[in-house]
Amino acid sequence: MDRARRKRHTGWWLLLAAAIVMAGIAFGIMWRPAVAPQTAIPSFDQARIGRGANLARLGMCASCHTADLARPFAGGKPMETPFGTVHSTNITPDAATGIGAWSPEAFARAMREGVSRDGHLLYPAFPYNHYVRMTQADVDDLYAYFMTRPPIHAPARANDMTFPFGFRPLVGFWNVLYLDDAPWRPDPGRSAEWNRGAYLADAVAHCAACHTPRTRLGGPDLERQLDGGEAEGWYAPALNRNSPSPLPWTRAQLHAYLRTGVAEDHAAAGGPMQDVAVHLAQAMDADVAALAAWTHSHLRQAPARATPAQRDGSLPRPAADDPDLPRMRLGYALYADSCARCHDVGRAPSSGTALPLQKAIALYDPDPRSLIHIVDTGILPPDGEPGRWMPGFKAILSDDQAGALAAYLRRYGAGQPAWPDLDEQVSKARAP
Amino acid sequence: MTTYRLQVNGKPHAVDTDPDTPLLYVLRNDLALNGAKFGCGLGQCGSCTVIMDGKPVMSCLVPVSAVGTRAVRTVEALGDARMPGVLQQAFIDEQAAQCGYCIAGMIMQASALLEKNTAPTDAQIRAHMSPNLCRCGTHMRILRAVRRAADRLAAGGKR
Repeated sequence: MDRARRKRHTGWWLLLAAAIVMAGIAFGIMWRPAVAPQTAIPSFDQARIGRGANLARLGMCASCHTADLARPFAGGKPMETPFGTVHSTNITPDAATGIGAWSPEAFARAMREGVSRDGHLLYPAFPYNHYVRMTQADVDDLYAYFMTRPPIHAPARANDMTFPFGFRPLVGFWNVLYLDDAPWRPDPGRSAEWNRGAYLADAVAHCAACHTPRTRLGGPDLERQLDGGEAEGWYAPALNRNSPSPLPWTRAQLHAYLRTGVAEDHAAAGGPMQDVAVHLAQAMDADVAALAAWTHSHLRQAPARATPAQRDGSLPRPAADDPDLPRMRLGYALYADSCARCHDVGRAPSSGTALPLQKAIALYDPDPRSLIHIVDTGILPPDGEPGRWMPGFKAILSDDQAGALAAYLRRYGAGQPAWPDLDEQVSKARAP
Repeated sequence: MTTYRLQVNGKPHAVDTDPDTPLLYVLRNDLALNGAKFGCGLGQCGSCTVIMDGKPVMSCLVPVSAVGTRAVRTVEALGDARMPGVLQQAFIDEQAAQCGYCIAGMIMQASALLEKNTAPTDAQIRAHMSPNLCRCGTHMRILRAVRRAADRLAAGGKR
């Protein structure tokens, strides 16, 4: 009997020890100390600030951290995520509400580990899982750039997270799964330009944040690198062999696209990609060329496909034996009467020129989200920027009409099988 | 030829025309409502803007067959030279036209905003008016006219 009791006691002790060890590990994963505030902002030489400015454009920091062009980097822009709405923060050197009290060490820790100066964990909407591979010199240059911006008083806006994601320490477990701190290594078999592009794409421009699908936990699906993802409700096309592009891209076209948002014969950037082009237009041209070289090395793996895009001319009338004839006729009529004025052939390049629709990548995407966005809201240049302007048709087309147009364009523009969820996506996109 | 039954400025109309005729042509040629103008025919300038189902649309891009039962309103619905509406009076007060070709579209674009938002900020007015172009360059006066109309409506003026 004594022995049995001792055995039971041993069991309890083991359980307690295991619980303590687990709590210790959990604490280690979830807790980070504060870094002491700095009382004065150091000074920086102009060359470092200039390099930092270039990196800030390549990293598109302002895309999220500037909500109001009159208040650059003051944060406050809401970002919808599957886990709630996160607001970007103030990264101007205001001591009270920005990062003025952040030492270089605190800044580097935020960039590499996603930890705020006071020790709380940042949400991975901030792509520190990419910045972790930035060189120390680049992190220092970025620091110099941000510390020399005009300080703006702008307290952080409260986030609106769904339960239980309001409890930030949980992000620690995301970091265990997705924060890979192995340093970036060049590929010695590739050119210096390709390697520069690969480094910038991964560690700075974080292309994969949108162009790689995410897991249910909101992390990158590492089995499917660059296989197409999502950004603000738009489909972000695959950049690998699964690229939906109906025509092969050249490096020169990619370079032009990244810098201007427009590539003849391919695309006019819509949605979040417009912002990318606005930022890259202000970055060093050699760096954008390197990004294009790297992107091209992936896109060129896409097999050559026979697509309607190779042919010119107007889109055809629906076939008389089309099983969905009334709907296709409606779609064709809307194409002919509303779209074809600009999207038909025979117009020389001018401000009114639009892509012949058999070349429009959105028609070849695996889902109709981007096409619906473009039809509904058009292509509007970003605030204060020049660019192609396409009117939106949301007020003109009913849900049925928009669905019929998209179905027609998919079948007779791209020659692709129908999107199974088209009607659902149309009503979802148009829900008030 | 098909017969289309349209609701324009509160009145029913029956129009015989081809299904691909733009709403703009029907308004001007069949109904003699000549306020809305043909500018570019490509949805790039806004001079043909009318209100359909409460929303501003460029009527050159709307095939008449797509209108259905949605109510259409043109600048003629707001008033005339003898009894101008608040927006029209504000455009007169600010002398917001030079050649005047874009003005009917400008006024309808502005009307769609003021019907939804009686106290727009200057930034909201600018953003809302951004699809409409004026080649004479009276944009600043046009913005002032919309501001004036908004303020007058907010002070209890009739539309």
